[in-house]
Amino acid sequence: MSVGTLGSGQLADAPPSRWRALLRRHATMPLVLAAALLATYLWVGSLALDDIERRSLNAGHLFRVTGQHASISVMTALLVVVIAVSAGVLLTRPALRWLAPFVTALANIGQATPAIGLLVLLSIWLGIGAGTALIGLVAYAVLPVLRNTIVGINQVDRHLIEAGRGIGMSPLAVLLRVELPLAVPVILAGVRTALVLAVGVATLAIFIDAGGLGGLIVTGIKLQREPVLITGAVLTAALALTLDWLGGVIADLLRPPGLD
Amino acid sequence: MTADVMIELQQVSKLYRGQKTPAVEDVSMTIRRGEIVVLVGPSGCGKTTTMKMINRLIEPTSGRIMVDGSDVTSLNPTELRRRIGYVIQQVGLFPHMSVATNVGLVPKMLGWDRKRIDARVDELLHLVGLEPGQYRHRLPRQLSGGQQQRVGVVRALAADPPVMLMDEPFGATDPLTRDRLQNEFLRLQEKLQKTIVFVTHDFDEAIKMGSRIAVLGDRSSIRQFDTPERLLSNPADKTVAQFIGAGASLKQLNLRRVDAVDWDEAELVRLDDSPTSALRRLDETGEWAVLSVDNERRPVHWITARDLDPHQDNLRGIGGPATVVEPRATLHDALDAMLSSSSGAAVVVDDGGRYRGTLTIDRLMRAIGEMRETERHRDRPVAEAPETADEPGADAVPVQRRGARSPADRQTP
Repeated sequence: MSVGTLGSGQLADAPPSRWRALLRRHATMPLVLAAALLATYLWVGSLALDDIERRSLNAGHLFRVTGQHASISVMTALLVVVIAVSAGVLLTRPALRWLAPFVTALANIGQATPAIGLLVLLSIWLGIGAGTALIGLVAYAVLPVLRNTIVGINQVDRHLIEAGRGIGMSPLAVLLRVELPLAVPVILAGVRTALVLAVGVATLAIFIDAGGLGGLIVTGIKLQREPVLITGAVLTAALALTLDWLGGVIADLLRPPGLD
Repeated sequence: MTADVMIELQQVSKLYRGQKTPAVEDVSMTIRRGEIVVLVGPSGCGKTTTMKMINRLIEPTSGRIMVDGSDVTSLNPTELRRRIGYVIQQVGLFPHMSVATNVGLVPKMLGWDRKRIDARVDELLHLVGLEPGQYRHRLPRQLSGGQQQRVGVVRALAADPPVMLMDEPFGATDPLTRDRLQNEFLRLQEKLQKTIVFVTHDFDEAIKMGSRIAVLGDRSSIRQFDTPERLLSNPADKTVAQFIGAGASLKQLNLRRVDAVDWDEAELVRLDDSPTSALRRLDETGEWAVLSVDNERRPVHWITARDLDPHQDNLRGIGGPATVVEPRATLHDALDAMLSSSSGAAVVVDDGGRYRGTLTIDRLMRAIGEMRETERHRDRPVAEAPETADEPGADAVPVQRRGARSPADRQTP
């Protein structure tokens, strides 16, 4: 009986405490990021900028390259989720399970190849531009999501799957109502890793003329303009952390109830 | 005859790929409508495989399985399973779904409308004593192990399937909870009359639950398929006898239920009565203890003259513990209760915990004596005239275990 009342008490408290926990867990990062960006802004503002620096460090240019960078990273992540999650689902079906090690090995090669080499090779083959950069990034970031999807689905209690089949759920229903929901936390952890990877590697996209924050960094290094280099680096880091933070919030919101 | 048969295995075998010896070899078995058939055997003997072939979680390599007159291999496995309840030891409740969603899964797949599903879920939760208002929105992890298993059982019952498969359903619970779940399930079965295939490795559970028990050996070979009474008194061979284990006669206590023996009446006193009046009752009746009951007639304590203190106003908190049994509990349970009671008697209570009578050790001894008498009676003709076998004896078995037994059971096979 005491167990019962305890349980109902937890249940009644669940919605508010869930939001409170969410806030507590995720409130720090935006503050840190805002402080870092503000500090960079104040520092750059206090400097006397020359012509070259002014061409890179103005609001219009910064918004454009950040936007490019964010969109190429997010598109990468979306493509990776679609490709890797469906591949992961297929590779955990009984009929295709034997293929999983081979495909994982292939994805491993994609990630082990130096990213810059991968991008350059692809650009020789497919020409330069954002499309090629996207393909390279996807090849690079597919592994963590694929691996986590396979692990996430395989770690679902076998007995639950058997119970689902035993009570007459179709294989598709078992996948959609049992396996995937219970694998969501693990899959989303992979997606977050992929996002951060994509943001970092997307700085290399400038080498095949796909734009992004990499331009600032390259300019800063080549022309020895530290403010440009540092602004590019800070914005890249801030973007990576923001997307990771967003991923964390989404993961918490999508986490199925009833799991610890 | 055929109308009476619910499940039929015809020379069923299962050979797993890459293995030389089959897991199940040439098993034939007929299961009648409304009976609980227990498959019992050592682990790895293929009993679970045999059961899972009935709902095609495992496909038989050869042989035929008929359920309710149709060959299971001719049916869509998913639809077949919706008509067969399935309960497993690990419960298998989906942790991310509420109790109500879990229970309503099969009706939903069968296309019932929301209202009908809700009503059915409430009805079922009620049936196993989980107040719907309190429990329907809970998540499985907010329930105790016993409650989870109750929900697991009603989920299997949700669409009212005629057949249920149960794979060690109570195996993961502590002995006390297991006992309660078993009693509860037998009570349900009295009403529901399902055809049940029940797998366990626990012979005591098999005796308690089964209308008939199939003792399985290697590769699921049937060593003996018989009623619990005959299995205990007449094991087919040494292996079966070994499996039954020592204390077969003590185990027979599991065969008789509390409601099959006579009860005594205790002297009841109310909690608000004065100690003096209780003392007077003790004197008048010559009993050595009276039983205190609350306003709902639920037993509280056994009170002896020594417990009474004339200075107290009422009888609250006085006396030694009174242990209770349900009428459906076995005599084995009752003996257990007696041994832990301060008075040496178990109080028989109804579903609401209200007093119905008491069972004393004397009554128990007499019941045991009767059981041994009938056994001796039955065994004698076997020894003297094998051709008439135990025909009269079997009919004369006085053991009325439960109402669920189909009349066909009492015919000698």
